[in-house]
Amino acid sequence: MALLEVSDLKTQFTTRDGVVRAVDGVSFALEEGHTLAIVGESGSGKSVTALSIMRLIPDPPGKIAAGKVVLRGESVLDMSDADVRAMRGDRIAMIFQDPMTSLNPVFRVGFQIGEALRIHKGMSRKEADARAVEMLDLVGIPNAPHRAKDYPHQFSGGMRQRAMIAMALACDPDILIADEPTTALDVTIQAQILELMIELQQRKGTAIIMITHDLGVVADMADDVMVMYAGKQVEYGSADAVFYSPQHPYTWGLLDSLPRHDIDEKGTLLPIEGQPPSLIDVPPGCAFHPRCPYAQAVCRETCPELREIEPGHMAACHFAGTDSLVRGRVATAEGEVR
Amino acid sequence: MGDLLRVEGLVKYFSTDQGLIASRLSKKVHAVDGISFTVRSGETLGLVGESGCGKSTTGRCLIRLLEPTAGTIDFDGIDVRALKGRALQEFRRDVQFIFQDPYASLNPRMTIGEIVTEPLAVHRLGTPQERRARAKELLDVVGLNPEHINRYPHEFSGGQRQRIGIARSLALKPRLVICDEPVSALDVSIQAQVINLLDDLQDQFGLTYVFIAHDLSVVRHISDRVAVMYLGKIVEVGGWQGLYDEPHHPYTQSLLSAVPVPDPAKQRTRERIILQGDVPSPIDPPNGCRFHTRCPIAQDICHHQEPELRQVAPDHEAACHFAKPFPIELAAVAPGTEAADAV
Ligand SMILES: Nc1ncnc2c1ncn2[C@@H]1O[C@H](COP(=O)(O)OP(=O)(O)OP(=O)(O)O)[C@@H](O)[C@H]1O
Ligand SMILES: Nc1ncnc2c1ncn2[C@@H]1O[C@H](COP(=O)(O)OP(=O)(O)OP(=O)(O)O)[C@@H](O)[C@H]1O
Ligand SMILES: [Mg+2]
Ligand SMILES: [Mg+2]
Repeated sequence: MALLEVSDLKTQFTTRDGVVRAVDGVSFALEEGHTLAIVGESGSGKSVTALSIMRLIPDPPGKIAAGKVVLRGESVLDMSDADVRAMRGDRIAMIFQDPMTSLNPVFRVGFQIGEALRIHKGMSRKEADARAVEMLDLVGIPNAPHRAKDYPHQFSGGMRQRAMIAMALACDPDILIADEPTTALDVTIQAQILELMIELQQRKGTAIIMITHDLGVVADMADDVMVMYAGKQVEYGSADAVFYSPQHPYTWGLLDSLPRHDIDEKGTLLPIEGQPPSLIDVPPGCAFHPRCPYAQAVCRETCPELREIEPGHMAACHFAGTDSLVRGRVATAEGEVR
Repeated sequence: MGDLLRVEGLVKYFSTDQGLIASRLSKKVHAVDGISFTVRSGETLGLVGESGCGKSTTGRCLIRLLEPTAGTIDFDGIDVRALKGRALQEFRRDVQFIFQDPYASLNPRMTIGEIVTEPLAVHRLGTPQERRARAKELLDVVGLNPEHINRYPHEFSGGQRQRIGIARSLALKPRLVICDEPVSALDVSIQAQVINLLDDLQDQFGLTYVFIAHDLSVVRHISDRVAVMYLGKIVEVGGWQGLYDEPHHPYTQSLLSAVPVPDPAKQRTRERIILQGDVPSPIDPPNGCRFHTRCPIAQDICHHQEPELRQVAPDHEAACHFAKPFPIELAAVAPGTEAADAV
């Protein structure tokens, strides 16, 4: 049994303009000590997937309409509110993109890190304070006993992010969900934070769900990769499978539109033309078809199921794995382009 | 090709106190602290560096959105800092700015036709009909539908809004465009559209760009030459290939090694140089070499003597007492071999 199993998760928001199908049938399994990366364009449902697992969807306007989230055999969606509160921060912890939204400006950093320990582990104030200092030290805050007494605004951006990680890891969670944990940070600080997460994972066997739009970070961290488009999973597989034999044209588009500094020549960037769809008015058939250079009649009519192309490697494309879909080769009336 | 822009000893300090008690003792932010560079006509100079190192301040000084504290700026033989009145107006037609945030930089109450031709209106150029025609032409150039001239910014996506900003910057047929993080707020797939557009426009109109960004891969892709900034200083500058293949400053080396590349096998075997600590405050920059507090190879001299930019290879300068080619391990190496050698 996997540590976390998510199946056919559907989360929707009711807005003035209609129902937003933010997450529309997502399934995956996460093993202990593994890292799953979720990638995809802005608005594709990455954060909502994470928030659904944490049962943090504001209701109204949001609602988990269908699906299962099972943590060590226990159904998260059926838990009582008290059980969910006990789970959050203790068994599953989350690092949010903007550290200032989850650090309270009026409390000292050390006190905030200790809070989860007092609540979940029943530690005394003194024990929790000592453990908070230990955690700050662990995440590389110099002079931790002293800095624990600082307020968040006295920390630099990188230090706040590290304080957030310290807070998330204080209770030794089974799962750490990191939503764009390094997006706001400089690369040298990002490298410090990623190194730290890898180290802690190796030491404690924590499973990580890493949400990011940075394919470099994915290549660095992930065992498995899930690619989302318009609320749906379009590809899922091991990092090697997704990077070295990607199957979905959207994944090809992502990889080909990336400038790279590790390749000698300056290749031409091949952007994905067009705009991401509105989730209220998702195109019929495959949501990607209006931007897909390989789209055919069936793509405009029928939504492709996620299916296994190679063992453990799935894609949701009618033509994935067939001879009529070859990366970089688009058949048109005038012949081949690209 | 000749130099279009020549910057010598550019300094910009901000004073930190807001009150009336502006004393000589008050602390100053050393945002840009004596930088020199040239931009050749028709080329793209990339300006990279981490948050707060002074990239935007440099860009803003170049077009006199900010008054420099010291230094000279020469644009095609004109002393930019001495410009006044009509001459300054004319300069502002030749040099344009593209902002980072495609949401904040467009007036929500103006139609995109009005936005795109606002510079023409400001400079009182053309009749309303002529301006409308020009707006359509500009929208077409940046790949937007000219029929959408009467729509408002909120009706467009982030990438489309950035195109509107670019169309506006082209309205006056500028010679130099300062692009401050023009693609940072965009998704990768949209980012590539805008980068390709900027490339095409450069070819089409012979534009010269100063391209500011913190993303090293984007900067490498678009630039002919690249300047790397750290805490208000240029630490390395040169042709893109030499600088990326053979960085001569340990900061450039660590930056390049810190950017993860989208290739799992490379990431698994790559040597990463993890710098310790945060970027120091520009209010109190370190003595000597500003990088010495985080530098893995710093020696005594680096604590008290500031290294000057000096030539290390053709079209390649670095400001490090120990400048030499520092290896970038993008290909597989056994851990601890090459990097230990470099340190
Ligand atoms: N509270 C809400 N009310 C209405 N719609 C919402 C709400 N929260 C999210 N959505 C919508 O759900 C969709 C998915 O959002 P989500 O935040 O998961 O995207 P994301 O993939 O995390 O994007 P990003 O990369 O920009 O963070 C979006 O279209 C968003 O507008
Ligand atoms: N108007 C101002 N008043 C005071 N300090 C300023 C002002 N503008 C910029 N600074 C400071 O000057 C330094 C350089 O800022 P600048 O905006 O040029 O950095 P940057 O390299 O563009 O960073 P980023 O990548 O975050 O945009 C920073 O420390 C910043 O806080
Ligand atoms: Mg998100
Ligand atoms: Mg800036």
